[in-house]
This record gives sequence, structure tokens and C-alpha cells, in this order.
Amino acid sequence: MARWFVVVVVLLLLSTLIPASVMHAQPKPGGELVFAATEEPDTLDPQKTGTAITGLLMRYLGDTLVTKDLKGNYIPHLAKSWTISGDGLTWTFQLRSGVKFHDGTPFNARAVKFTIERALAPETKSPIAGALFGPVASVEAVGDLTVVIKLKEPFSPFLDNLTDPRAMIISPQAVQRLGDQFGRAPVGTGPFKFQEWHSADRIIFVRNPDYQWAPSYAHQGPPFVDRIVVRIMPESAAQVAAFERGELSVLLAVPPTDVRRLQATQKYTFFSFLRKGVGLFMEFNITKEPFSDLRVRRAFNYAVEKKLVLNIALEGLGEVAYGPLPPSIWGYWDGVKDYAPRFDPGEARRLLAEAGWQRGQSGFLEKDGKPFKFVLYIAPIDTWRRSAQVVQAQLKTYGIQMEIQTFEFGTLLSKLRAGEHQAEFMGYTYTSPDIFYLWFHSSNIGKGLNFSHFKDTKLDELIEASRKEMNQTRRLRIYRDIQKYIIDKALWVPLWINHFYIAVQPNVKGAKIHPDGFLALNDVYIQ
Amino acid sequence: MTVFIIRRLVMLVPTLAGVTLAVFLMLHLTPGDPITLMLGEFASATEVARLRNELGLDRPLLVQYLKYMERTFHGDLGTSIRSQRAVLDEIADRLPWTLQLAFAAMTLAIFVGIPMGVIAATTRNPAIDSVVTVFSLLGLSMPTFWSGLLLILLFSLTLGWFPITESHGLRALVLPAVTLAAPAAAVLARMTRSSVLEVLRQEYIRTARAKGLLERVVVYKHALRNAMIPILTVAGLQFGGLLAGAVIVESVFARPGLGRLTVNAVLSRDFPLAQGVVLVIAAMYVFVNLAVDVLYGLLDPRIRYH
Repeated sequence: MARWFVVVVVLLLLSTLIPASVMHAQPKPGGELVFAATEEPDTLDPQKTGTAITGLLMRYLGDTLVTKDLKGNYIPHLAKSWTISGDGLTWTFQLRSGVKFHDGTPFNARAVKFTIERALAPETKSPIAGALFGPVASVEAVGDLTVVIKLKEPFSPFLDNLTDPRAMIISPQAVQRLGDQFGRAPVGTGPFKFQEWHSADRIIFVRNPDYQWAPSYAHQGPPFVDRIVVRIMPESAAQVAAFERGELSVLLAVPPTDVRRLQATQKYTFFSFLRKGVGLFMEFNITKEPFSDLRVRRAFNYAVEKKLVLNIALEGLGEVAYGPLPPSIWGYWDGVKDYAPRFDPGEARRLLAEAGWQRGQSGFLEKDGKPFKFVLYIAPIDTWRRSAQVVQAQLKTYGIQMEIQTFEFGTLLSKLRAGEHQAEFMGYTYTSPDIFYLWFHSSNIGKGLNFSHFKDTKLDELIEASRKEMNQTRRLRIYRDIQKYIIDKALWVPLWINHFYIAVQPNVKGAKIHPDGFLALNDVYIQ
Repeated sequence: MTVFIIRRLVMLVPTLAGVTLAVFLMLHLTPGDPITLMLGEFASATEVARLRNELGLDRPLLVQYLKYMERTFHGDLGTSIRSQRAVLDEIADRLPWTLQLAFAAMTLAIFVGIPMGVIAATTRNPAIDSVVTVFSLLGLSMPTFWSGLLLILLFSLTLGWFPITESHGLRALVLPAVTLAAPAAAVLARMTRSSVLEVLRQEYIRTARAKGLLERVVVYKHALRNAMIPILTVAGLQFGGLLAGAVIVESVFARPGLGRLTVNAVLSRDFPLAQGVVLVIAAMYVFVNLAVDVLYGLLDPRIRYH
């Protein structure tokens, strides 16, 4: 009896010595991971796609030369190392050996050259990938595992662009074999291989058993789960129901209205991350009255109570925006919160009066007998519409009449390019501060995204300098100056930056959130 | 009758030509540009111009239309701008799904709606009549995106009877078919009720009853058959509508189908795909109408075809 007791006690003591990780976190291979996508990919060709979902799926299907770890630092992936010449024009990459594409062909310098040249070729008609490699002048394969990329001009966002999933290296042989159909059966080097795609129904990836080249933030070796099933489900309420019924392992985009309810059940693991971009801002067309007047634009920045907009339109699930960059994009200037105008109705009224707007008999602001009336263009997005209504009500207290007009997104973009609007609501998602070039450089008026139609030599020069500067400290300083300048010119009223939420079933272990806003699945296993 | 059918089939050609012209003009004259939607907001002006030229969208409208008609007559519906797949393949992928759902929903609607209408018309119990009236009112006025979600919440989430993400098999068909059948059954019930009531007032029904026929035979053999013409007309229209796809039910239940295909094609300004789908849907509609016309004659021998 006593002996038994001793044995039991010793066993109990021993068990406390075994690290918890060995007892519980033993990853078990097998099983499948099911998640839903609201939108169906246009194509799974990383170089021909324009849809966000394809970018996400390529994270699992392909690898890039350089990637980012879970803290956002640049780390080697298919490239072991790289050097940049002093003038920033020559980039030399040493490639990893022993990497194979899903079709069995070897990954090498020729594949890198082929990939970049295909992305840049006009006949590829690449919406995004071509721009990522934008300033590349030539790609040379020097030996089997060395690639030399020459740029036309120094281009500091280049390293970051190389981490984009759409810059993944693709199998030259598969492209030649499949031609136009490569996008229905893509071949990369990633942890998962493409298996099947049933239109409007589901896409299936399977484990790549040969995967021995995981990035350093994941375990070395093939992923644990056998399959990833992406179910295409347009209706988010049905996605939530399917997740609650346990049919989906992961809910990739929890609707804002369901976040608190699902969190309250305490059943699921939640991940959240700040959008890489400003979710919503009011942008002024400075070529149109009344927003050609800087004082009016500044007045609007004092007039709107952003916290209220965030709480009503987004149920508080986000942050108030102050400048053109969110804290989630490198280059964000911390001082922006103190530098940008804060809610101050008195200052707003003073600026409006200074600009010549006086209360008329109707109770509305008037100038030269004309009432302060303008039209805000928005897209049919629920959170935008609610935000517009809050802003509308707030502006009304100052005697400003704002009318809201909704256009389908493609139509809205063409109207904004043509400059037909007085002001609009917009949002963006981007990986780097080079968004400044797309949004504010005067070369993008009329065809790009410069919807404020602001043409300014100083801003152009600052943006061009930011793209050529290779020294990161000096680059940060330029980005700070750009943010200050855009706030000075009050081209926007930044409103909010949303949090995104991902919910994971309790039996799904090892999921990690990547700072670029996706779940790294290499280490995931089903318990 | 054969002559009638052949003549109607020949009429198909100008009908479909008219449909293509209408769709073509509607798509090209409404604002929105496929190129902007394809290349995304970050595309450069040169890329936009190049793609526009490549797709022939910079040519005059008339030239574009004639080119399209020429290819269509050769059985080539073109390639989808968005997916780069043949339009015919895209349609062939979705058509079985739509046919399956349309047949299931229609069968359900007929077997629920018509008996309900007959019962409401013949019963002397006002309570039953009210139940049928309330059902048809509900069926008609509940929007399918709402009733579909309610069915999911009740039968999938709470009771756990039906899977949500499953798309194949009979179990995956039940809830979408019920959602889609409800409004159709409601209309059929209303239609049947009034049509049967009207026929029951006719002289020959009194004769039949006077002969001493069973009430069941009077109603189902003599009354219902003669009441069927307007019911059949409505059912035909409904079936045609179901064949055009049911975008809301397809979206709520995440089923592939022509409805989602059409709406996505229009939203992304995928001209070849939108034109192709509408052409196929129009053709199916014409065939359903033809079938309904033929059925008229079978139901009522007095109807002659010219």
C-alpha cells in the first residue's frame, strides 16, 4: 500500500517536471483546415490577379525571395542573402539550394529571371505584380544560384515589394506548359500545392511533402495539416453560422457586428490586427469650390468628432486616424497625433468665418448669398454609409449642408479621376509608405489615385526623394515631412483605421498572425 | 402542332438577336469600366490604354456588336475578361447547379402550392382558408435573404440537421430549395384558389355533381383540370425565372449557379460573360414558354395551334 503511494507521488512529481510543451503541444500531422472567402479569386496567377483574396492564397502556395518575420523584419527566404550596391542600382541575390517547385522542377536563378521578366512583359497585363518590379532594368542569372537585378533608378520600396505574395517565384516550366491556364493550376514552391478549383464553390490546396525551406519564423519541414479548403461564401452571416457550427476552422473576417458576441462565448481564439492603410478618410477636390480654400479644409479637420464616427460606424472596433499613414505601415510618424488638428468646434467656426462663411437667415452658412452646400461621393459600403451620416449630422450643426451620393466602386473611381466630385470618402490598403507616390504625386492626377487633384512641386519633390533615398533614417525623416505637409495642406480629413478580427476554433493550434495581416499556417495542427 | 413548334423555334433567332442587342447596349451605355475594375486602382494609364485596345473596347460600339454577333453565330461566346476562361465553360460549370435547384424548388412549389390552393377553395372551414391565406402572404412577403438565413439559423445551427458549407448532395439542396419554393408556392396557392373557385361556379360542375360523382372526382378531375390554364401560365413564368438563377439564394447558401455568375459578370463589367449568360437564360426562357404553350393543348383539347 505504502509502496503504491510512493510510486504515485513520484509519478506525479515527475509529471510536473515534464515541460508543458511536450505534454500538450505535440503537433499531430493530418486533418484539414477549412475557411471561407467572401470573394472568389479572378485567377490564381499571382502576376495576373487584381483581387485581394488571391494575394492571401499565394502566401500558402508560393514563396518570395525575401519575406518578413512576425515582428516585421526583413528575413531571407528563397534568397539566402543579398547585397545592394552603393548607388542602390545593383541588387545581388544568393539563392537557397535544394528548393523544388511543386511540379518537381528545380528552383534556380533562371526561374527568378523568368518570373520577373514575365511580370514586366506587357502581354502579361499585370495589375499589381508588374508595378512591384516597376523600376527593374534587367535580371541576370549569374550561375545557378546567383541573380543580379539592375534597377533604372534607386528605388527604396523595392525590398518591401519583394516580400509581396504576388512577387512569388513561379515555375517557368509550368507557365510554358499551361499557358493561359496557369491561373487555374498555379505552380510555386510554397508549403501547400494547388489541387483543385471548383468555380464559385471551393478551392483545395494540399500539403507539399517536400517543403524543407520554411522561413525562420516557422518550423522547418512540411506543414502539419493535409489540406486547406477555401469555401467561397459570399454571405458573411452564413460564414458566421458555419463557423459556429464548427464547419469552418477559421473565420477570416469576423463582421464587426459579431465580434463582441463571439468573443463573449470565450470558445474561440481571436487574432486582431490594425488595417495596413487608412480605412476611411474624407478627401477634398481642391480644384472645386468650396474646398479650394485651405481655411475651409482645415476647418473641416477641426469640425468633425472622429471618435463619434468610429464608435457609431465601426462599433469602436478601430482607431481614430490623424494622418495619411496608419501606425501599421513602416514610415508612420509618431508625432502625427499632436501635430494634426483635434476636434475643436470653436476653431472650426473661426476658420469658416475667416474664409467668409457667415450664418444666413436660413440658419445655414452663406457666402455671397450662396449657401454652404456640397456633395460627398461614397461607395456602397455599409461602414462608409454610416460614417457619412454621422459626419453629415455633425456638419449640420455648423450650418453646412452635405448631400451623400453613392456610386458603385468602378464608377466612383472614374468620376474621381475625372475630378467631377467636390469631396469623397475613400480608404486604402497598402504595404509601404510608397502609397504617397500613388496618392499624392502630381503624375497620378487624372489617371492614378490623386483624387485631390493637388499639384504641388514641393510635395512632388519630397515624394521623389523618398523613393530614391536608400538610407532608412533619412528616408524616415522624409516620410515625416510628407505627413506634416499633407496635414498642413489639409487634403484629407482622416477618420478611422479599422481593426480586423480572425476567429479560430479551439481545436486549431499553432496559428500565428503575421504583421502583414494573414495567418501563418506552417505550424498549424488540428487537435 | 409540329408546324407550330418549328415556327416557334425559328422565331427564337430574332428574339435572341433582340436580347443580345438590348444587353449589349445596356452594358456599354451604363457607366463603369471593365478595365478599371480589372487592373485595379493602382494601374497606370498606359496599361489601361493597352488593355482597352487589346480587348477591342476602343472600337466603335457598332463594330464591337457586329463582331460579337459574328462570333456568336459560330457558336463562340468569347472569353471571360475576368477569369480568362471560355464563356461556354463558365456557363457549363454553373448550369447543372441552377437546373438542380430550379427543378427542386419548382417541384416543391407545385406539390405544396397547388393542393393548398385547392383545399382553400373547396373547404367550408374558414380557419383553413385563413391559414392558407396567411401562409401565402408570408411566403410572398418574406425576402429570401432573410428567410434563407432564418432557415440556416434554425435547421443548421440550432437543430444541426443540415450542413452549411456542403454544396453537393441532397442534404445541401433542401434548405435552398425550400427558401426558393416558398414564394413560388405562395403565388401558386393564391392562383389555384381563385381559379378553382371560379371554375366551381360553372354549370358543368353542377352537372357533374348532379350525376352523383364523388366530390373528390368533381374537384380534381373536372374542376382542377379546367382551372389549370392560368396556373400553368404562372408556373411557367416562375420556372423561367428560377432558370435565370437565384442570386440571393445562391449567395446565402454559397451555391454555384447562373444567378451569381450573371451578377458578378455585370458588376465587374465582364461584357462577354454577361452577354453569354443572358443569351443562354433568354433561350431557356423561350423554351419554357414553348413547353407551356404545348401543355395548354394537352390540358384543353379545344385549344388549336396555328
